[in-house]
Amino acid sequence: MSVRPIILENIVRIAQQQKKPLAPLTDELPLLESGLDSLCIAILVASLDDSLGVDPFDRDGDVAFPVTIGDLIGLYEHATA
Amino acid sequence: MRNVLVTGGSRGLGLGMAQRLAAAGFQVVALARKDSDALAAARAQVAQEGRGALHFHAFDLADIDGIGALVKDLRGAYGPFHGLVNNAGLGTAGILASMPDSAIEQLIRLNIVSPVTLTKYVVRSMMAAQREIGQGGRIVNIASIVGSTGYSGLSIYSATKAALVGFTRSLARELGPLGITVNAVAPGFVDTEMTHTLTGAQRGQIARRSALQRLPTVEDVAGAVDFLFSDAARNVTGTVMTIDAGNTA
Repeated sequence: MSVRPIILENIVRIAQQQKKPLAPLTDELPLLESGLDSLCIAILVASLDDSLGVDPFDRDGDVAFPVTIGDLIGLYEHATA
Repeated sequence: MRNVLVTGGSRGLGLGMAQRLAAAGFQVVALARKDSDALAAARAQVAQEGRGALHFHAFDLADIDGIGALVKDLRGAYGPFHGLVNNAGLGTAGILASMPDSAIEQLIRLNIVSPVTLTKYVVRSMMAAQREIGQGGRIVNIASIVGSTGYSGLSIYSATKAALVGFTRSLARELGPLGITVNAVAPGFVDTEMTHTLTGAQRGQIARRSALQRLPTVEDVAGAVDFLFSDAARNVTGTVMTIDAGNTA
């Protein structure tokens, strides 16, 4: 299964759980404008580590933090390829 | 049954807490380097009583690089964790000026870096498990009254315990939106292996200087942890419960 739907589904679920209004999710949407705060991102990374078995950020800071939703998906697609 | 991890759970305070939480109906995993006769006896007793569960899992928390894999193993073996008690720690005593540098570093690593790292991975596991078991969780850090008072010969130990309290307060803020409570319990001097270096005269002096003229027991401290894990404590977070028979009153 492609990681894209898994990531998008997790984002929607976490935003609902944390009661954060979410902007329409497009690849160009900057993460900072998505409505997710740093705690939501942490929950997302932990959840994806659990379901996909990868954490692309767990490499002592040599990974540039993704700017947009598309960058985030790309990072995980690359990590799971 | 909800799972709780108790570090340093094979003896002393940790064993007392593990037994108490199992009796309260939790499935407790006591983490320690080595199993003990006392923990084995406690496991048999818990199994006989048929309420809660108590298991032993071997791990040396000095292996900080292995903590991430440990938490994955535990989750695989027992399922998602509801709670964590950071109790394991060294009680190395010594005058700072004559303490070997390696002993200072070892104390700080085991009493601070290990529990903070373990908490990181357990929190991640709690976050990931929200879909299965919903929000919420409990973290209790075992500090000490010497983190806020002082005792000659325990400067490094005291520094680590004060650090745990600072960690507790900020993490409570961070995890509040997830319904996870984070508290510290600060015992006074309790009769365990860790405090065996105190002489009878020192114990007597500590007891005399306490409001209740006695030392707190393992059961008193375990009772505080039991409370923090109960539904009655659902609105208690970011605080320190002092269990010292009034030594710091």
